[in-house]
Amino acid sequence: MIWNYFLMAAGVSSASWILSALIPKKDFIRNLLVLIGILSMAVYIGFLWNSLERPPLRTLGETRLWYSLFISIIGLITYYRWRYLWMLYYCLFMSLLFLFINYMHPENFSKTLMPALQSPWFVPHVVVYIISYAFLAASSLVAIYGLYQVKRERFDEKYMLVADNLVYLGFAFLTFGLLFGALWAKEAWGHYWTWDPKETWAFITWMGYLVYIHRRYQKPRKYVSALWILALAFVILLVCWFGVNYLPSAQFSVHTYSMQP
Amino acid sequence: MSKPTKPLWQTPWGYAESFVIAFGLLLIGFLLEFTIQSNSGVSIKYPMNLILGAIFITFILVFYRLIRKSNLYHFLSGVPASVGAIAVLTLLVIIMGITPQVSMQEENLITRLSLNQLTTSWPFLFINLYLLVVLALVIVRKSFPFRLKNWGFVCSHLGLWITIFAAGLGSGDLMRLKMDLYTNKTEWKAYDNNGNYYELPLAIKLNDFLIEEFNPKLAVVENESGKLYEATKPSMIMIEDELECTLHDWNIKIDDFLVSSGRVGEKYHQMYDFGAAPAAKVSVAVNSSDTLSGWISCGSFNRPHESLKLDDNYSLLMTVPEPKKFSSKVTIFTPDGQKEEQVLEVNKPQSVNGWKIYQLSYDEKMGKYSNLSVVEVVKDPWQVYVYIGIFMMMIGAIYMFWRGNKVTISSEQ
Ligand code: HEM
Repeated sequence: MIWNYFLMAAGVSSASWILSALIPKKDFIRNLLVLIGILSMAVYIGFLWNSLERPPLRTLGETRLWYSLFISIIGLITYYRWRYLWMLYYCLFMSLLFLFINYMHPENFSKTLMPALQSPWFVPHVVVYIISYAFLAASSLVAIYGLYQVKRERFDEKYMLVADNLVYLGFAFLTFGLLFGALWAKEAWGHYWTWDPKETWAFITWMGYLVYIHRRYQKPRKYVSALWILALAFVILLVCWFGVNYLPSAQFSVHTYSMQP
Repeated sequence: MSKPTKPLWQTPWGYAESFVIAFGLLLIGFLLEFTIQSNSGVSIKYPMNLILGAIFITFILVFYRLIRKSNLYHFLSGVPASVGAIAVLTLLVIIMGITPQVSMQEENLITRLSLNQLTTSWPFLFINLYLLVVLALVIVRKSFPFRLKNWGFVCSHLGLWITIFAAGLGSGDLMRLKMDLYTNKTEWKAYDNNGNYYELPLAIKLNDFLIEEFNPKLAVVENESGKLYEATKPSMIMIEDELECTLHDWNIKIDDFLVSSGRVGEKYHQMYDFGAAPAAKVSVAVNSSDTLSGWISCGSFNRPHESLKLDDNYSLLMTVPEPKKFSSKVTIFTPDGQKEEQVLEVNKPQSVNGWKIYQLSYDEKMGKYSNLSVVEVVKDPWQVYVYIGIFMMMIGAIYMFWRGNKVTISSEQ
């Protein structure tokens, strides 16, 4: 039952989202299709909640459903506000990816997460990071392209405006990720922040973009140094995402369960 | 573009002065650390923290009155000073992020400078205080006279300030204690990491401790070293009834799987006594004609474990099952004679009398037969203020998302 309805809901979502990518001309129809996909996910989660008689947050498969739902919602809101079509498609793609992983691994619906991860904070924490990293990665592409254009002396200030906006949006999500993490830690372990290596690097990343934002705000003309700060901030972000486990400090990390997302 | 560079300390101050000041503070901090080591055991408790906090705020206000007409104010409430403070703090945190932060016994340069315990060192404290002063002046300058269009700015900056301030002062009042609960006993004493005992205004009786476990897994170990053999991934496979799988090069079949059992003579039987452990009968195809077969069990605190020798080098064994979920059924008593029944579970703490009670661990050697449940009790009177700060920062972040970069105001001369 649960599985068959999952196939139905995931089928409706995939079909409407893929269709939405194929009808690029009509804005209204596209939004409607995206919305239908979101609704079908929401209805399925509601059904699951009802039939399990508990919030569906306990297993790997269930948390992925929530990722799908929230990522697509945020994608649509972002599109509504900023008209970044690539972001909408990135979000829908990530959503579909999670649905697809669930489809490939039905056993994940019965594989429970370790107790520390069974928290309502887990999903928002991961989702906002996924989105934040996409924006920040995009901003660093702009930075690299910008630096290249500076070298060729063909730089145009409008690149900076694009980079700034991407950083602002990415930074907003990054802030949420950090704060959700702190609230979760408080709820689960009694302390917001323990300066665990992963937390430490997340904080460094956040500070890196803070430097960029303020530098840009104060000296909008000095774009070359700002571009370098932006490129450097992304290097730090990559350390935070992939590199932490290889640092000497990581032997003592609590974040070493290698099972996400 | 080639402006002549301004000599240091000539007004208006900019990035050079900002970094000199921030690094100067860092240096002073490290010198102080080198001579009088900060004592990481000391924490400032109520009412001392409240008094110090009030002094700090008064200091900022007086400082503001004194300098508000000067260039110093203009500098300290500006972006260059901010960026210097943020960058130097980041540098310090990068050191923290690279070197292990654990206490060490030996005396060397690292421990003399407390590079292994930076969060409780002088340089860290100095930079944080400097950041708080700068941030406070920034907020004051942008808030008076108040303009409605600055509300997003005020939310993020004031929120951050409140969060750091409240979390910093509150850390001394934060009590995180552990309690050992034994089945059917009532406990009212809790202990801290240094082994000091405290009496709590509540008592907890453990009625039952429950663990749900995952099934144990199959794994291969090297006979000589006892190390897990990891030639191919996955190196462990969860046991299920009638499972047939390939682990490395061996084809393994589970003929019989008992979740709770004990050995009697040649084989294992289903049993539910105290200490009963999972066991499985397995057949392994060693080569095309031969199959090995036998019982394996992970054992328990009072049962031996049993593995199956595959060849001279390797053995097949069953791992100890991992917990899926553990919880304590408790009765909580308070001095006013009230009692409530509660279930404590990881991620589902309960609040009683200003204390939060968290399920922490149990006796892992005993596994599901543990009659000990360790809970953590936490009291954090400053939590509300930290939450207010965090909440304001969230609003600031939503504002940032919604507005994006519409900033064109330039303070560039
Ligand atoms: C939560 C973290 C922070 C965020 C999201 C943030 C964001 C911003 C933004 C968006 C602006 C542009 C002003 C506007 O849009 O009205 C700004 C300005 C500024 N920020 Fe921050 N900031 C943060 C932390 C800090 C910190 C830690 C400092 C300094 C210690 C600081 C100092 C300043 C200063 C001096 C300005 C310029 C104000 C002016 O002259 O108009 N900020 N900040």
